Amino acid sequence: MYLDHFVVQNFRNLKKLDIDFDPNVNIFIGKNAQGKTNLLEAIYFLALTRSHRTNSDKELIGFGGEYTNLLGHVQKSQVDLTLRVLITQKGKKVWINRVEQAKLSKYVGQLNAILFSPEDLELIKGAPALRRRFMDQEFGQINAEYLYFASKYRQVLLQKNNYLKQLAKGKTKDQVFLDVLSDQLAGIAAEVIFRRFKFLRYLSHYASDAYAHISLGGEKLAIAYHPSVSTIEADDTVEEIYQKILANFERNKAIEMRKGTTTSGPHRDDIEFKLDGKNAHLYASQGQQRSIALSVKLAEIQLIHQLTDEYPLLLLDDVMSELDHTRQSALLNYIHGKTQTFITTTDLEGISWEIIKKPRVYHIQSGKISFEKEN
Amino acid sequence: MQYPLPIAHLIDAYMRLPGVGEKTATRLAFYTMDMPEKDVEDFSKALIQVKNDIHQCPICGNITEKEVCDICSNPNRDQTTIMVVEQPKDLMAFEDMGEYDGLYHVLHGVLSPMDGIGPEEINIKSLITRLQKNDDVKEVILALNSTPEGESTAMYISKLIKPAGIKVTRLAAGLSVGSDIEYANSITLKRAVQGRTAL
Ligand SMILES: Nc1ncnc2c1ncn2[C@@H]1O[C@H](COP(=O)(O)OP(=O)(O)O)[C@@H](O)[C@H]1O
Ligand SMILES: [Mg+2]
Ligand SMILES: [Zn+2]
Repeated sequence: MYLDHFVVQNFRNLKKLDIDFDPNVNIFIGKNAQGKTNLLEAIYFLALTRSHRTNSDKELIGFGGEYTNLLGHVQKSQVDLTLRVLITQKGKKVWINRVEQAKLSKYVGQLNAILFSPEDLELIKGAPALRRRFMDQEFGQINAEYLYFASKYRQVLLQKNNYLKQLAKGKTKDQVFLDVLSDQLAGIAAEVIFRRFKFLRYLSHYASDAYAHISLGGEKLAIAYHPSVSTIEADDTVEEIYQKILANFERNKAIEMRKGTTTSGPHRDDIEFKLDGKNAHLYASQGQQRSIALSVKLAEIQLIHQLTDEYPLLLLDDVMSELDHTRQSALLNYIHGKTQTFITTTDLEGISWEIIKKPRVYHIQSGKISFEKEN
Repeated sequence: MQYPLPIAHLIDAYMRLPGVGEKTATRLAFYTMDMPEKDVEDFSKALIQVKNDIHQCPICGNITEKEVCDICSNPNRDQTTIMVVEQPKDLMAFEDMGEYDGLYHVLHGVLSPMDGIGPEEINIKSLITRLQKNDDVKEVILALNSTPEGESTAMYISKLIKPAGIKVTRLAAGLSVGSDIEYANSITLKRAVQGRTAL
């Protein structure tokens, strides 16, 4: 799939854009703080209705403006679509082909995008919450059921934690309702965990393949899922997972009631990246970690293709100049002819031009974009 | 510039209605000012009347202007079945469909700890006492929305009444995930009533 036309109104410092994109490679050159990341963020938002760098949609509305409007025309192999997102102070609305969608889960997944930026190294080094957010975002965009269960999980978890707090403070004594909430939460948790195992299994397979392409060391990359309920195993059925979580809630009931919070479940799970069986967070070099992060992104491209028969857009924010020549060409060869790619960079130096065939080059300055003739 | 106080008060009053913002409220307030005096009087009477004359039926919680609502006082309705709904408007939707002729129980909400709504805040206790006092009821149908809160409320109620040996069923097929009964068309509702499953 590719985005051939994009109209932006009032997204951060992008006041008004109306651009055609190349189906293959688009390069955006600009100094710092001109709007390069903002543009990729806008494309990402059109696809996922959320930003990769903030949880507050309001932050995206250009200073002094009332609302933000994004409109994109997408070509897929079978159909073409017009997607629209409106962000206001009160919330956001989405349209597919001018028909407003009451549910975001109906909209997300129409356009897929994978974004890779230097901060993605945090995926390996950072806190577990980042890796859970990664799973929720990436699996949510390829699987509507995952999106549905993950958001339902957040909601019921909030209800249960609120009720636990009321029990902890002695405001209520009714444990029957706590049991109901635990049972309900365990059922949804099982659906989330079952799908995480499944998608991580695929992702691990593709990531290990990509890693073999872009690294020179010959190590083997694998991704493992670590549920916080440690009795759960990779080949458990949804029902088995449900029973184990329920038993775990039951066991920890007194602790949960004292702490006023749910101490285990998908919101406490983690994933681990391993090189030759060793934890990459602890043992991999900076260069190896960078290759892992890149491999995971490339794996997502393959995973999306496997599940939807379409290649997602690839958004590369400031990463080309950080990769050495070998990794750059490995990356570009890997995606060549598959994904529509958007590359941002502060200068052309360090980019292996000869590998990029006929890119369309744009310049960004103070939120305005100008088009340079094809070179 | 500030509006004269009576207008400002009226704007504030309109803004308390759901979905009415300042702009709409201001428009409505100025419109009201231009309405014939008689219409305004009728309007204000109607407002007072809903508050004074309408109350919850002491048996089922439906809204009514009579002592006991029309459904509860109708002996021709099937006295062995009670359908539990969230709001009076859900009851209206089932009545409009005309397929169901049993009794109702209106909860006036669903359990939602984060909004401070626990079992005491909605009509659950009155349902339990109603069932304890009345041996005729053989089946309770839980027709709550399939939101997470509707689901946990249904599970909770069924846990409370199951020990009494009453059959508890749930509207299942037909209602899509996260749907509101109010918006479901009557064909989906019919299918839902026919395809209910035991909990
Ligand atoms: N809501 C907003 N309204 C207007 N400008 C914004 C908003 N948010 C960020 N900016 C501006 O966007 C610029 C940063 O753009 P960015 O795309 O991150 O830069 P870069 O080109 O370095 O990637 C800064 O000048 C910042 O002030
Ligand atoms: Mg940037
Ligand atoms: Zn009644």
